Amino acid sequence: MRDKLLHAPLDLDPFARTVPRIDDALSRRVNADPESLERGLAQLVLTIVELLRQLMERQALRRIDAGSLTGEQEERLGRTFMELDQRMAELREEFGLTEEDLNLDLGPLGRLL
Amino acid sequence: MIELYAITDDPGPPLPDVAGLRLVPFDGLAAVCTPASEAEVSPETLWHHEEVVEALMADRDLLPVRYGTRLDDEAAVARAMEGRSGELAAALDRVRGAVELSVRVVAAGGTPSPPDPPETTSGAEYLRVRAQAEASHDDVARALHEPLAERARESTEGRPHPPELFRAAYLVERAAIDSFVAEVGRLQSVSAGLAILCTGPWPPYSFAER
Amino acid sequence: MTAIAEREVALVDLVDKLLGGGVVIAGDITLAVADVDLVYVQLRALISSVATAQDKQLLPRMGDAL
Repeated sequence: MRDKLLHAPLDLDPFARTVPRIDDALSRRVNADPESLERGLAQLVLTIVELLRQLMERQALRRIDAGSLTGEQEERLGRTFMELDQRMAELREEFGLTEEDLNLDLGPLGRLL
Repeated sequence: MIELYAITDDPGPPLPDVAGLRLVPFDGLAAVCTPASEAEVSPETLWHHEEVVEALMADRDLLPVRYGTRLDDEAAVARAMEGRSGELAAALDRVRGAVELSVRVVAAGGTPSPPDPPETTSGAEYLRVRAQAEASHDDVARALHEPLAERARESTEGRPHPPELFRAAYLVERAAIDSFVAEVGRLQSVSAGLAILCTGPWPPYSFAER
Repeated sequence: MTAIAEREVALVDLVDKLLGGGVVIAGDITLAVADVDLVYVQLRALISSVATAQDKQLLPRMGDAL
């Protein structure tokens, strides 16, 4: 393919890491059978959860920045988010979804995350 | 079925020599299409599609159409364009004479950012790592995005995928591509802690719709 | 080796743009299940309003439980 790299560092690896999932993502998208519909619904639900998780995490970081939380509250918040993060990873695995799968394409409106 | 590639001015230069490539004109514009391919979606079909759009882009301005857009026939294309010519003409004017350049940034030395905290991490430490990632992104954005955006007609930030710290697309005048890339090189030379990747030129996918 | 790496890197950008950008024209988009697409549209409207609410500080404060 014609050279598209206008300026590139010597180590291209970090910029190519999402590739193994691309073939996956592409083949999944063209599949319209009922099983993948179910997975599509799981995808939607998990994406909402992931979005809310990120919003809340960011909110927490802002409050920490503003100094409006005690050390103990910070600790509890952090642990909660850590557990949420872990739980999300487990849920994704249950449905055979990757992080990239939760970055849904909303058609005219661009990507969700 | 028909597959769409791009919206162009009509009339325009003759179409490139691609099998089945046709114009469906509507109101001073045209939709460029071919019969839909039966092949399954793959990197190969994506690159082939891209080659067609770039062949068109070589000698005309265009609005690339989202990949995989298919309609029943030319009549259906004409129907879909009804009432949109004003909007599409305006969109075409926005990208006229310009291409898309893509920039992605990671931390130099291959350090993934941030690493997943091990399970024994305290809650506060977990948040610290997250805050670090946010801060890194903002630092990079400030240092790189501003000078690059100045050399572009428009720009839009994307969501960085780990280990990326920053990702953005820039709408750059065709004549200004070299100076944009030179600026990327200059920014790289003063940013030892970052590895900057710039790809393109691409058709203006990220600036085709609002 | 380098040529392959370059192509892979460019593919990441290509996929991002082709599937996430470009003009959207109503039709049978083969890359989505049509019914689910409609739900996405509504979802994005929800997300936009959440983001706006956040900016305007309209979201509820963090509860004591956290």
